[in-house]
Amino acid sequence: MNLSKKELSVLIEIIYSILFALLFLPYFYENRFTSFDFIDNIFLWLVWGKIGQMIIFSAIYYSIGYTLLHIFNKEKIIKDERDDMISSRSYKLGFLLYELSLFVFIGVLLSNSSFQNSGFIIFFILLLLLSVIFIKSSYQLYLYRKS
Amino acid sequence: MDLKNRIKEYRQKIGFTQEELAAKTGVSRQTIISIERYRYKPSLELAMKISEKLKTKIEILFYFENIN
Repeated sequence: MNLSKKELSVLIEIIYSILFALLFLPYFYENRFTSFDFIDNIFLWLVWGKIGQMIIFSAIYYSIGYTLLHIFNKEKIIKDERDDMISSRSYKLGFLLYELSLFVFIGVLLSNSSFQNSGFIIFFILLLLLSVIFIKSSYQLYLYRKS
Repeated sequence: MDLKNRIKEYRQKIGFTQEELAAKTGVSRQTIISIERYRYKPSLELAMKISEKLKTKIEILFYFENIN
């Protein structure tokens, strides 16, 4: 399968969402019932540590990913009307999914108040965000291949 | 009605590669490929640019198939 530079950059995003899910979601899933009610709660500090790791992972992943892409693929990226069409379609889908996620998120919060102060809420937010990124990017890649 | 085109035929007649036509019209090669395969319908502006570069009238280059 011969992929263009634009398609490869979308693929980098898809791989990012999968890797991120594999690396960070299990931790929050295991701690879904752990409460972080108190400010001196050790779990709260562990969560901040994990968030730091997520930021560092994202920065390193994208730096390496895009550097390698530019090194191994010298093709010049030309942005034209087809890219705009693909972007607008995929971002529209992403926006609709974010809206739907927001409703689901609020519904889950209202259904059980114990979720509000536990690791579950972080797990759930990450799961929704990663799902949206994954679906949006996959659809974008599909449009690049099929339109 | 399906919008079809004769871009490939006229491009080859004039001796342009997809890459050259893309460069002349300011789009990517993938866009030219998509148009030639009828996967992407270009804007009027791009259609006119292509017809100008291929020295052909736009109504010859683009046509409708299965007109009821």
